[in-house]
Amino acid sequence: MYSPHGWRCVALIVLLMQCDALHAHPLQLSLTQIEYADSDSRLSVSLRLFLMDVNEALVFDPDSTELAFCQPNESPDAEPMLLAYLNEVFFIKVNGQRMDLNIERKHLTGSGIDVALVVEMSQSLAPPLSSLEIKNTVFTDLFPGQTNIVYVHVNGDNQSLMLNKKTPTHVMQF
Amino acid sequence: MVKNMLATIRPVTLLLTTAWLVACTPEPEATEASIETPAAESEEALVARALAIHDRVLTLDTHADTPLRMIEPGFDMGVRHDPNESGSKVDYPRMQEGGLDAIFFAAFVAQGIRDDDNKSRAKALGLQMIDAVLASIEANPEMAGLALNPDDAYALEKAGKRAIYLGIENGYPIGDDLGNIELFFDKGVRYITLVHATNNDIADSATDSNGPEHGGISEFGAEVVAEMNRLGIMVDVSHGSDDVFFDAIEMSAAPIIATHSNARALIEHKRNLSDEMLKLMAENGGVVQLTMLSDYLRVAPENPERVAALAALSANTRSAMEMTQEERSAMRRARYEIYQQFPSPPATVSNAVDHIDHIVAVAGIDHIGIGCDFDGGGGIQGVFDASEVMNITIELVRRGYTEEEIEKIWSGNLMRVFRDVQTVAAELQAGETV
Repeated sequence: MYSPHGWRCVALIVLLMQCDALHAHPLQLSLTQIEYADSDSRLSVSLRLFLMDVNEALVFDPDSTELAFCQPNESPDAEPMLLAYLNEVFFIKVNGQRMDLNIERKHLTGSGIDVALVVEMSQSLAPPLSSLEIKNTVFTDLFPGQTNIVYVHVNGDNQSLMLNKKTPTHVMQF
Repeated sequence: MVKNMLATIRPVTLLLTTAWLVACTPEPEATEASIETPAAESEEALVARALAIHDRVLTLDTHADTPLRMIEPGFDMGVRHDPNESGSKVDYPRMQEGGLDAIFFAAFVAQGIRDDDNKSRAKALGLQMIDAVLASIEANPEMAGLALNPDDAYALEKAGKRAIYLGIENGYPIGDDLGNIELFFDKGVRYITLVHATNNDIADSATDSNGPEHGGISEFGAEVVAEMNRLGIMVDVSHGSDDVFFDAIEMSAAPIIATHSNARALIEHKRNLSDEMLKLMAENGGVVQLTMLSDYLRVAPENPERVAALAALSANTRSAMEMTQEERSAMRRARYEIYQQFPSPPATVSNAVDHIDHIVAVAGIDHIGIGCDFDGGGGIQGVFDASEVMNITIELVRRGYTEEEIEKIWSGNLMRVFRDVQTVAAELQAGETV
């Protein structure tokens, strides 16, 4: 039987078979650590993101191997796409100046659905560090309920905070 | 015995049995069971009876990650939040609304590198979270009070206040200094979950991708357990590997607890406890606190509407690699809408009480409690947040649990362990051999 929409049905079935959006880790959470000490004159930032979430945010498939982060065949587009996304949803303003995000290192940790992509960035910073403004809405544009924990360690002062869609930014004075 | 048998009967069976009894027995004897589950009781009457029981018993939830919410700038525990808007599952007004009398707020610090600097930071972050809880109590004295001993919860309930206990999820903030345990005890901490998602110096995690490191509890971990016993801090084995569970049973001078774990026989998950472990928990005199994490309660059902909506969205767009940044942003927004419209079907109260039935059948009614893990991923259909916990009681009543049994589940069992732990501590401090 002829159906003008037959090819669309086949395409939809193939997509349905490939889509595994139900296969997800239970927590919509990310963890960021920000460190600074006058003695080092360097601000370091580490973001720990679930790899499935990164893939979903960038290529809309949590199980995609297309970007292949931290693999020998990592796509040349992987880092630029990640950075472009992070620049939309994440910033740190140091003494009022927005920090340039440059990925220095990254690695994978964990296994299965809990694999995390750890992204490390840093920049030299002459003392004093008097204020930090942090925005972290990573994945809040994708997942309802996403929350982002931020640990801040500045000159021996340790603080934690939670940022999310409702509370995207926070300013800390030192 | 009759009560325990009734506890495992499903609602339809109970209804049919009750109907049969009514039809066949002209003047039924007033047995205990017939008093607890009146024949031909309407749904309205059953709910009213359940709510009255819920009101009478002390309701205690042993695990909430709400301190994570308390570090959100501007978050106020004294104000009612809309869980769908804020994602928050617990605040004092909603505890009151749900008839949740007492709760353990767990100060959670994510596992990091195990060097001196990071251990010291973890301790500071743990203390900050504890201080955030204490500040929220201080700011809402008419609604909540700090509880340090079992009796405190009953006194606070009588005063119309929520009883707030403290726990620590992950022993990482202890670092390698046993003295920190007493520091946390003095702050009010009454249980410590030895380990979290990855191994630490104390114990192996159930979920570390590198596998076990100590073969259970480490030598240092054994000292930690002994110090917790001495002080009267409950040993929590949730998140620990199976060997951690067995070691804790062996090492701890006092009964142990699992503050948020379910039955592995129903859902195969490393975080859940096997029947062997449940039986050992019963022999130990400890308690398993059932958690409301959907993935630990049921196999995730299909979500065809969401799958179809996502597929249709993808079918009408070009490859992600070819998209502009603006197109990707729009795509994320569209997926967000789909996730909101077709959320993953959560577990149900019936799923949760199936686990209670199983644990009761294997370990007995004296070894089961409730630790919802609100604000840490917990929340199911019907028990989405603290304002809905009465639905657990309604389902328990529906399945034939008596008020005495429900009291044990909601708090009696945990309080028994809490008292036992304090008794052991007093004996140890008096120099007695336990």
